[in-house]
Amino acid sequence: MKNKIGVYICHCGGNISDYVDVEKVRDAVKDIEGVEISVDTMFACADSSQKQIFNDIKEKQLDGLVVASCSPKLHYPTFSAVAERAGLNKYNYVHANIREQVSWAHSDNKLGATEKAIQAVKAAIAGVKESISLEPIKIKSQKIVAVIGAGVAGMRAAKELADLGVKVYLIEREYFVGGRVAQLDYLCRVQETGKELVTRMYEAIHKHENITLFTGAEIIEKGGSIGNFKIKLKITPRYIKKDCNEDELKKAIEVCPVEVDDDFNFNITKRKAIYKNYPSEYPQKPAIDIKNCTRCGECEKVCSSIDFNQKEEILDLTVGSILTATGFDPYRPKENEFGWGLDNVVTLPQFRRIINMCDDKLIYNGKEIKEIAYIYCVGSRQVDGENKYCSRYCCTATLYTSILTHKKYKNIHAYHFNRGIRTYGKQEVIYDEVSQLGDIFLQSYEYDPATVEKQGDKTIVKVKDILTNNTEIEVEADLVVLVTGMEPRKDNSIGDVLKIPKGRDRFYNEIHMKLRPVETVIDGITIAGACQGPKNILESVNSALSAATKSYSIVNTGELALEPIIASVNEDTCTWCGLCADACPYDAIELINKNGKDIAEINKSVCKGCGMCLPVCESDSIEMSGFTNNIIENMISAYADI
Amino acid sequence: MQYQTDNNSYDALVIGAGIAGGEAALNLANLGYKVLLIDKDLTIGGKMIMLSKVFPTLDCSACITTPKVSEISRHPNIKILTSTQASNITQKSDGTFMAEITTKPRYVEIEDCTGCQLCEEACPVIVKDQYQYDLVGRKAAYIPFSIASPRAAAIDIENCTLCGACERACPTNCIDFTQTDKKITIKCNTVILATGFQLFDPTLIPRYGFGRFKNVITSMQMERQLAPTRPFNTVLRPSDGKLPDNIAYVLCTGSRDKTLGNPICSQVCCMYSTKQAQLLMGALPMADITLYYLHIRAFGKGFNEFYAQAQSMGVEFVKGKVAKITEKENGNLILRYEDINGNVVKETEHDMVVLSVGILPNVGIQELFSGINLELDEFNYVKQTDVLASPAATSINGVFVAGTASAPMDIPDSILSAGAASAEAANYIRKMSEINVSV
Ligand SMILES: Cc1cc2nc3c(=O)[nH]c(=O)nc-3n(C[C@H](O)[C@H](O)[C@H](O)COP(=O)(O)OP(=O)(O)OC[C@H]3O[C@@H](n4cnc5c(N)ncnc54)[C@H](O)[C@@H]3O)c2cc1C
Ligand SMILES: Cc1cc2nc3c(=O)[nH]c(=O)nc-3n(C[C@H](O)[C@H](O)[C@H](O)COP(=O)(O)OP(=O)(O)OC[C@H]3O[C@@H](n4cnc5c(N)ncnc54)[C@H](O)[C@@H]3O)c2cc1C
Ligand code: SF4
Repeated sequence: MKNKIGVYICHCGGNISDYVDVEKVRDAVKDIEGVEISVDTMFACADSSQKQIFNDIKEKQLDGLVVASCSPKLHYPTFSAVAERAGLNKYNYVHANIREQVSWAHSDNKLGATEKAIQAVKAAIAGVKESISLEPIKIKSQKIVAVIGAGVAGMRAAKELADLGVKVYLIEREYFVGGRVAQLDYLCRVQETGKELVTRMYEAIHKHENITLFTGAEIIEKGGSIGNFKIKLKITPRYIKKDCNEDELKKAIEVCPVEVDDDFNFNITKRKAIYKNYPSEYPQKPAIDIKNCTRCGECEKVCSSIDFNQKEEILDLTVGSILTATGFDPYRPKENEFGWGLDNVVTLPQFRRIINMCDDKLIYNGKEIKEIAYIYCVGSRQVDGENKYCSRYCCTATLYTSILTHKKYKNIHAYHFNRGIRTYGKQEVIYDEVSQLGDIFLQSYEYDPATVEKQGDKTIVKVKDILTNNTEIEVEADLVVLVTGMEPRKDNSIGDVLKIPKGRDRFYNEIHMKLRPVETVIDGITIAGACQGPKNILESVNSALSAATKSYSIVNTGELALEPIIASVNEDTCTWCGLCADACPYDAIELINKNGKDIAEINKSVCKGCGMCLPVCESDSIEMSGFTNNIIENMISAYADI
Repeated sequence: MQYQTDNNSYDALVIGAGIAGGEAALNLANLGYKVLLIDKDLTIGGKMIMLSKVFPTLDCSACITTPKVSEISRHPNIKILTSTQASNITQKSDGTFMAEITTKPRYVEIEDCTGCQLCEEACPVIVKDQYQYDLVGRKAAYIPFSIASPRAAAIDIENCTLCGACERACPTNCIDFTQTDKKITIKCNTVILATGFQLFDPTLIPRYGFGRFKNVITSMQMERQLAPTRPFNTVLRPSDGKLPDNIAYVLCTGSRDKTLGNPICSQVCCMYSTKQAQLLMGALPMADITLYYLHIRAFGKGFNEFYAQAQSMGVEFVKGKVAKITEKENGNLILRYEDINGNVVKETEHDMVVLSVGILPNVGIQELFSGINLELDEFNYVKQTDVLASPAATSINGVFVAGTASAPMDIPDSILSAGAASAEAANYIRKMSEINVSV
């Protein structure tokens, strides 16, 4: 029981004292048993007041502290720090909020407000009396980070962490690195192509002593918690030997009889079952797509590097933090959506691959393309569909694509059916450049978008153009390019394995957009790049570096101090009914058998002290340190005792 | 990790203590590095601490800035100097930096000031309050605003009459008119530029009448009127203190306009105007709010949904370019604009007009350096020399850029770019300390 308690009551300028008689509160509690001193102060948070509290704790050897001021959200850490500096365990400090909960809420009733403030301070004193010193829970942390996804975000984060001296497992599901950027040739507003950027990033990681790159690899299970995640990695082999013969491999690709849709070119071309996406792709070794391989053995006949004996591998790894950078999928239009299904309607990503493959003439399906209609916001800003968001990258990417076509081919005419061009920031100059190239812009609202239809062998795009007084305008197009937005990855099973929450837009969600933008509610798991929401490369890399800093701060010292306010189980009274485990949102409770008895056990590094398990426990066997039943009951009695 | 012990030696010098600089300093300090964080202003927190609520989540800006600000100010690894500028930053051959740091006198001993405001009461001089963007007055002895950090008085020496009233009123004797410029030279391993942005000056578009017509205000002034630390406790129009009931917003004021030398989009005005419109609908339930825009750039996470929400609340969005504003005798304003939908020129009357001013790069950043060239881009922002792979890198190895010093951006993007700058700075510090140890 504490009996040398210091009580400090704040005026908050006038924020509190205009409505609460602070002196009266001070005097009402000064004679309560255990209270050593009770003082009022103009601004408790001011340096001078902090100094006074510090000195009082030292000189009067206070064993408990009550501060009655604004919301603890604001200054709980301030006064905890004062207590700690003065040598008082911070769990012997209880805060009373007499601003948001009293003066501001009852500015019409000064007497009542003062009365309520007195009760709130009395309750805090009652709480502090029963308070117990607690020490942070210290756990060892692995100085290793798993980075999932080797797109630009994942590769950049991996390099930064590795340079900082952390071991990195870089885990890529495909056989090749680079993600979506590897599929891009020219990039907007820079002199580098997507492939060159990927090459540059790959070179920075593949020889780095701190990075182990796994390709064809996926996390299939996760256990443990911050500091010590246990992950199970499934690695599908390439079926190609380590030291392989280039020429023979080329031949093997030639002779493979299996042809499947080429994902890399968004299915506008075919590839073999043994494949490489483009000549310089990294890692520079083909792979066999075993799902489609018929095991006919043709490749083995011409190439000695093929090895069908390679086995799927399962690796168990322990890491301190997991950085997720699994990227996005381009939206896939539904049948008939803006003419999808017609032989001259393609998506923007497909169109970029077509441009990449056509040298001096733009040819698709055997026909030369001159008139191009771009339809914006396909799969984004939907009125009826579920994608209400704007995909952010596509206006700029489309305008830039138009510039590319004008540069590469002659006599191109482009029509942009948009809903208001969103070239934010410096990207505005691209819009300006395109406007000067003579492209035509036609604009509509979300609810009245352009339509695409076939009239004989003509493809007609129609819109009521708001820029020309809602005139209905028709354009005959050789090619219709659907500007498809970004969507969360179709196969997002990794999100379920890691239990990362998703937002309304179905992308992974951060804790707080401004305060904790790269952290998830799962301690130790960070998110970066387009898996969190549409982003261009610059924005993906910024978030990747931020996430790297965060993951680094988790693992860098090899030790973590966790908040000790957690639940604990009374082993004598617990009879394991499982209700607590069901109620726990963090999976912190497990069934164990101790001395022949089934009881609940709480994982200290996973429990967040949310208290969800307490009310469901029928035998009252769970207590929360820092907020024990004893403390809470004492506080309630004090509040109720008028 | 703190291998440096003498006082004027830091791992990082962070210039500018807005949200970007503050976040970068905090990241580095949490990794154990010693940081000197300077700001030329009297308080840290930059523009963000002055805002009302922030899009797209509508959290109270003060409530998310003040905990950050107090975390920064009590961090054992961060030293803060306000009213302070750096100059003559030079790079030594080993890659580390030297800088001259000059602190202007505040004429108040920050440590001793309790923020009691008695000096403010005593001071007889009244001038325009720059922290309320000239909406109201303040004294020559004053606390910048209630959530300023440090929350200490300052004497505005240019307007002070040296009457001594404040000195007599101050209970802690912390006012000191003998203070002069304090100069120190520091050594640091890396420099982060987080010097932020400046607002477009709307008097450069005389046809909008800002400065002549009282009821034409800037978005930052409206931001102050809506903030929890607001001057009037409600929204008033300046000419007669009436509650406005028909407010117009003129978007792209000073942005996307080559004739003004600023061809780019300011990236935040569409959204902050949409936000203010929503807040006004709450503050003045009877008021009509109209936004005159060219394109609504609701591009970020949750933005398009936020725009849709404003539409459904009844905010009027008119696609049109405002050509001219004229004033009526009763203080109301006539907007002449080209209605893009109807392709006609129209006129409408409003009782208050808010100019959604754009954001511009701060000037004079290059001059902080001596003997090394900090390159700017074609729009005069700090140039990002490897914009895709190392967005924080500048033309000087070891100098990194964070926040709106490199481009217009909102708070979430400023914070992410600060994360990038601190990651790269941490790596640079590591490199420097390895070199230093091996020497
Ligand atoms: C047509 C088009 C043009 C564009 N043009 C530009 C431009 O000019 N400039 C620009 O800045 N941006 C441009 N972008 C945007 C750019 O593509 C993205 O910003 C970038 O790809 C995002 O990178 P990321 O690393 O977050 O995601 P991704 O590139 O999607 O990479 C994610 C990686 O994670 C891997 N992965 C996914 N799931 C798992 C799993 N479960 N386990 C392991 N690995 C997994 C994927 O295989 C992939 O390699 C364009 C986009 C498109 C579609
Ligand atoms: C009216 C308005 C409303 C807005 N509303 C929102 C919103 O709702 N949501 C949102 O996300 N964003 C909003 N923004 C944008 C937001 O303000 C910026 O994204 C953010 O403030 C940028 O922070 P910063 O640190 O980069 O710059 P700043 O806030 O400008 O900070 C820069 C700091 O550097 C200091 N400094 C400058 N030069 C020097 C020097 N040479 N030496 C020392 N110090 C120096 C300055 O004093 C300042 O403190 C709004 C902007 C405006 C104008
Ligand atoms: S960026 Fe442009 S095309 Fe993409 S969804 Fe947004 S408005 Fe539509």
